[in-house]
Parts: sequence; C-alpha cells; structure tokens
Amino acid sequence: MRDFKLALKGSVGPEDNDSRNLLDPHRRGVPGRATMRTYRDRDAVDLVIVGCGAGGATLAQRLARRGWRIVVIEAGPFWDPDSDWVSDEAGSHPLFWTQNRIVGGEDPVEMGKNNSGRGVGGSMVHYAGYAPRFHPSDFETLTRDGVGADWPISYEELKPHYEQVERELPVAGQSWPWGDPHGYPHGPHPVSGGAERAWSGARRAGVEMRVGPVAITNGAFGNRPHCIYRGFCLQGCKVGAKASPLVTHVPDALAHGAEIRADSMATRVEIDGAGRCTGVAYLQDGSERFQRAEAVAVAGYSIESPRLLLNSHSSRFPNGLANGEDQVGRYLMVQGAPQVAGRFPETLRMYKAPPPEVSSEQFYETDEARGFSRGFSIQTLGPLPIGWAEHVVADGHWGYALREYMRDYNHWSTLGVLNELLARPDNRVTLADERDQSGLPIARIDYTQCENDRLNIAWAKRKLEEIWEAAGAEELLTIERYAHLVGGCRMGDSPESSVVDSDHRAWAVTNLFVADGSTMPTQGSANPALTVMALASRLAERLARKRVGATPV
Amino acid sequence: MAKAGPPSGLCRQRRGTAPQMRGRYPDHDVLAQADHWDEATRRIVLARLRIDAPPLRVFDADEGATLEAFCDTVMAQDSDPRVPVLGMIDEKLHEGRLEGYRYADMPADADAWKLVARGLDEAALEHGCASFAAAPHDVRSQVCGAFSAGELRGGVWDELPIGRAWTVAMRDVVAAFYSHPWSWNEIGFGGPAYPRGHARLGVGLRDAGEADEEFSVDPAIDVPVRGLE
Repeated sequence: MRDFKLALKGSVGPEDNDSRNLLDPHRRGVPGRATMRTYRDRDAVDLVIVGCGAGGATLAQRLARRGWRIVVIEAGPFWDPDSDWVSDEAGSHPLFWTQNRIVGGEDPVEMGKNNSGRGVGGSMVHYAGYAPRFHPSDFETLTRDGVGADWPISYEELKPHYEQVERELPVAGQSWPWGDPHGYPHGPHPVSGGAERAWSGARRAGVEMRVGPVAITNGAFGNRPHCIYRGFCLQGCKVGAKASPLVTHVPDALAHGAEIRADSMATRVEIDGAGRCTGVAYLQDGSERFQRAEAVAVAGYSIESPRLLLNSHSSRFPNGLANGEDQVGRYLMVQGAPQVAGRFPETLRMYKAPPPEVSSEQFYETDEARGFSRGFSIQTLGPLPIGWAEHVVADGHWGYALREYMRDYNHWSTLGVLNELLARPDNRVTLADERDQSGLPIARIDYTQCENDRLNIAWAKRKLEEIWEAAGAEELLTIERYAHLVGGCRMGDSPESSVVDSDHRAWAVTNLFVADGSTMPTQGSANPALTVMALASRLAERLARKRVGATPV
Repeated sequence: MAKAGPPSGLCRQRRGTAPQMRGRYPDHDVLAQADHWDEATRRIVLARLRIDAPPLRVFDADEGATLEAFCDTVMAQDSDPRVPVLGMIDEKLHEGRLEGYRYADMPADADAWKLVARGLDEAALEHGCASFAAAPHDVRSQVCGAFSAGELRGGVWDELPIGRAWTVAMRDVVAAFYSHPWSWNEIGFGGPAYPRGHARLGVGLRDAGEADEEFSVDPAIDVPVRGLE
C-alpha cells in the first residue's frame, strides 16, 4: 500500500477528465486544437453549444466523453496564452466582451472588463479565481427568508458536481466551515503582506477568515504549472496555474471529438414548423452559416444568452424564442461589490501574489439584527495601477491629490465584499434600438437596487471599515461597484415565472437548453464560476441518462 | 490652491523616466526589466513609448488644445516629460476600441469627449478666459473642481449628465496614464512579471527588480493640509 501511494506523486487527480495531462508542459496553447475533429454545417450533430465558457465548455467535455457529437460555437478567439495574453493591465482588454451594450436603470451596471468575457474559456479567463460553493440556503431563500426565489433543485443535488469540479480545477484552500462544511483538494496558498494585514484586523474585529478557496494549482497536477504569484490573475493566467475551461475542460473535450468553432458569432437559433430547434445560424468571417443539430444549448452567459433568444424571434415566437411568457432577460442579478482599502506605514505591494487570498462567509446568511435579508462575503483583492486609480478617482480625488494617492499605492491593501442583491423582474436584458456592425440589435441592461440591497451594501461597508480600523490602518478609501452576473433565463417550477425547467430545458422548446449562469434564480454571496460549472456538470449527467433522440457514435 | 504641487521632498528620478521626473522610487526603472518579460508583453508595453504627441485624428485643433489642458490639469502634469494622455485616448477612440457599455443617457465616447471640450471652454469663458487652454492654472483648477463635483451649469452641461461625463473622462484618462511604464516608476509598481513571477510576498519585502521607497507621506494628511482639493 505504501509503495502504491509513493507511485502516485502529488494529489490524486479527478476521474473522467484528462485535461491536466493533455496539456503541453512546454507551451501554453491547447494541444489538440490543430488535430481537432471538425463537422460540416450540414451534419446534424447531437448538440450545438453556443459559448465556450464555464457552462458551455463543461457541458461539451462531459457529453463528448459520453460519445455525443458536439460543436461549440464561440464568438471570441481560441486563445493561445503564450502569444495572445500579456502580463499587463491595459493590454488585456481583448479578453473582455467590449462590444457595445446600453446600460440604464437607476443604478446602471458597467459592463465590459469587470464582468464579461469573450473567447474560449469565457469570463473564467479573467476572473480572480475565487471558487466558493453556494450555501444550501441559497437554493431556498424564499422559504427561509421570504425573499428571492426557491430553486427547483437543491444543494444536495448539486453537491457531487461541486466536489467533482473542485477536483478538476483544482481548488486550493483551508477547510471551509461555512455553508455545507467541506475541504479542498489542494492546500492553502501563501498569504501576501496586504492579506496578512487584512486577516489580522479581521481576527481583532471578531471576523473569521480563511485562506481560499481559489482555483489555482498548489502542488503537482498533471502538466499544469504551479502559481508564480505574479498577481496578474485578472489579465488571463499566462502561467496556466489558474483554472479556466481553456485548461480544465477544453483539452479533454477535444480529445473526445468535440469541435470548438471560435470566432463565430451566433445570430439565431432556428426552429422548424413543429417548434423544435434545428440548429444555430452564426457569422464567421463575415458570412452567415448554419450548423444543424438535434439539440441546442445556449451558454452565452447572462447578457448574450437572453440577447440570442430575443433575437431569435419567429412567427411562432414573435417576442423571442422561449419568451412567450415574457420571462427571457428578467431577474438579472449582479452582486454589490464595494471595496474599502486601508493604508499602512509599511510597503505592502498589493500587486504581488494572487488578488484572491483570504475570505469570509461569516455574514453570508440572514441575521435579522442587521435589518435586511441575506448577506455578503468578504474577500481580499489586489487592484493593479489602473484599477487602483479608478478607486482613488471614485473617492473624489484628481490632479495633485490623485497623483499623491497613486504614489502611495504600495502602502495600501484592499478588501471587498460581495453582497447578495435580490432578484427583481424589472432588472433585465432587453434589445436596444441600436444594432451592432452585423445588424443585430444589441443588448440593453437596466438595473435598479431595492431597499434591502442598499441596506446590505451599507452594512457590509461598515464591517470592512471596522476590520481595517482593527488592523491599525491609518486611512481608508472606498469605492462602490458591482461584480459578476447571473440570471436572465432563470430555472423554475412553472413557465409563467421562469424560462427553463430543472433540467435547463426551455419550457416552450423541448430540444433547447440554457446551460450557463443565466439560469440561476438567486446568486448568494459567492463568486458564480464554480456553480456555473457544477450546474453544467449536473445537466450533462441528466442529458446523458435521460435524453432520447441523441445518437451517440 | 496656493500650494498646489507635489509635496516638498519628493525625489527626483535618478534611473529611467518618471512623469515630470518625480517619484518615490528614484532608482526604480521598470523598463530596465524588459528583457525579463515575455515577448507578447514586451511588444505591447514598449509600443506605448512610441505614442509621442501624434497628430490627433478624432479631435480637431481647438478640441485638442482644450483637452490637452484638461488632461494636464486632472493628472497634474505641470512639466515635461509628460505621459501623452490625450494622444493615447485619441488613438483608442480612433481605433474604435470600446469599453463594452454606454450609459443610456450618454452619447458615444468620442462624442462625449467633444462635448466635454465644449463645456470646458464655456466654463472658462464664464471666468473671462478666451478658452480653457488659454486659462491660467487656477481657473483650470476651479473648472475641473466644479466638473468633478458636478457643479458646472448651462450650455453643454444642460444636455450632458455631468457626473457620468466626469466618470467616463477620468476612466479614459487614468487608463492611459497608468498604462504607461513611466507612471510605474513613479509609484513603485513592479510591472510585468512573467515568466519571472514574485517570490517575496510579505510586508516590507521586495523582489529583484523592485526598488526601495525613498520618500513617503500619508496622502490623507498631506492633501487636506496643503489644500490640494
């Protein structure tokens, strides 16, 4: 037995996903891309997936392994991190969905670099790397707290998929005491000076924090390199240490015959006279093409998935595909994400080490004494100079004062929260009057907070200030912002109040699925990436078991 | 406003270039590390050094003069060498690089900038100056202060939401200024760190390629004491 353990070398990897071993140890581009299987447009593949992010890539990998013929249509590029990504803040703009969108409402949400990815790997290419689970309470906030919605599925149904995805990424961190207590496959990463200061303040303020959970390798894991603590997680991990579908699921999907068709913008999901999907129309090199398929899974995330359905109108669905009940685009959610920075006499250099270091979910659940429902999480951050300058400008500084605060960059450390803002029907995606270069109507996003949201954000900011004061910070600096996106095509129990059922199947179209974060009815105070992947993993299991009509090769 | 300027005692840059040759890390020269960067990063960062007062393509001469003065004032670039902020913004707008969103009550970014230019000139006119570019430093500062506080009225400012206009303008200004490697020398940012990475992460520690800070002042004390805002 002892000899057997020695032979394993490092942590035990996940079953049913060889991505880590398929990667090339000497270059970052995904091997297998050149020899990828390709399908013709007229081949009716088993499933065409729109979007190669957390949801789409996971679904593709799972079903390709089951023998399904899969084509993934992705609007953005098939990244080669060696040549396409840079260790530079401004130069990383191409990672984001920067095409125009209109933002309105009383509290408009800025899109683009903060929340929208483009290209193979999706937004996980530029997320910080935090990979917490949702709490069991997130799946029944209406029953427990009288706000939000109950999911048609429970935490227990998702739990085995959380565990599987945590092994695949893999997630590193201390054992987790909140929600459903659990451990992580990789141990905690070392903590930077700035995070040390935050942590000591939290201890004195009675706030428990833990290292992690971050989806960054911390030990041997196939050909995935170890983190080098360079701090550019949000600019795409050139190292390959931070998990994104590009390194965690795409290599295995390609090895099992999936085709990922990059630089292809889906324009319409087409249906036949019987109201079933026949495939997806898309633009490639300026010409319109059409991929036939037995079934379609839309995984373009909370803005582009609703936009695609709304643009896929027909005589049968005059207001957009699967939108007979006017549900598509509604209940869009963002998390409140104010940040408070603290100043210390020593240099902390918050640009070093991954921005995600220590976090707390102590305030995640409802506490009536706080005067609002649901809660928030606390996490460390490490803004680079442009992000820090936005922070300083938001605090009201310009001119000589701005330069002075910026010269002081290395003395500051930053804490942020993620507030669970509540789902509201009028926070939604619609089509704007404007069109993009190819003539497709662009998305308009309206967002307005409710009173519970404002109370939550204000309370959480005061908690961050308490932590920094307990840490001995000399000065504080605050910025209001948002983070993440979920909702827009939510799952539910009835077609009157949701777009898809508990199997992600559109109520109105039997072979149309939505397989991304847009299906979430609530968002908790957790970063959504892990849950998006776990949902796609569960969907794949259910499709593979139950679905009729698919013809595995 | 009388004492506007950098704090006394701020270091003169000894190695490399910092904007106005002032900074806290006089021996920190990010560009001296360029040989240690990966090729893709080196190409994109070094290309920024080539934007040196190019002919403006989005803004006409009057708009250019006004916005040049605006960028100098809000970034406190009061002498050479200057980071060519407006040139970088003009290039971004000319190439049609978008941010991924537009406020429903705002025009497209380039049009917003042109309206800001007009609005600044109108505000300078109220102070008896021919244009914002022709106004003395204290008038420019007063106008920018009023712009930042949302207190300009009339003319352009009746049609352009002033708070959003400030946010959009400053977003572009700081993104240009702090993408320039000279600014990294000033603030002691380590710059690109691939493939080398960082090893010494703790409080007060520095890695190879990082220099010591030789001057420090708490801005939250210094800024109000010297009445900078």
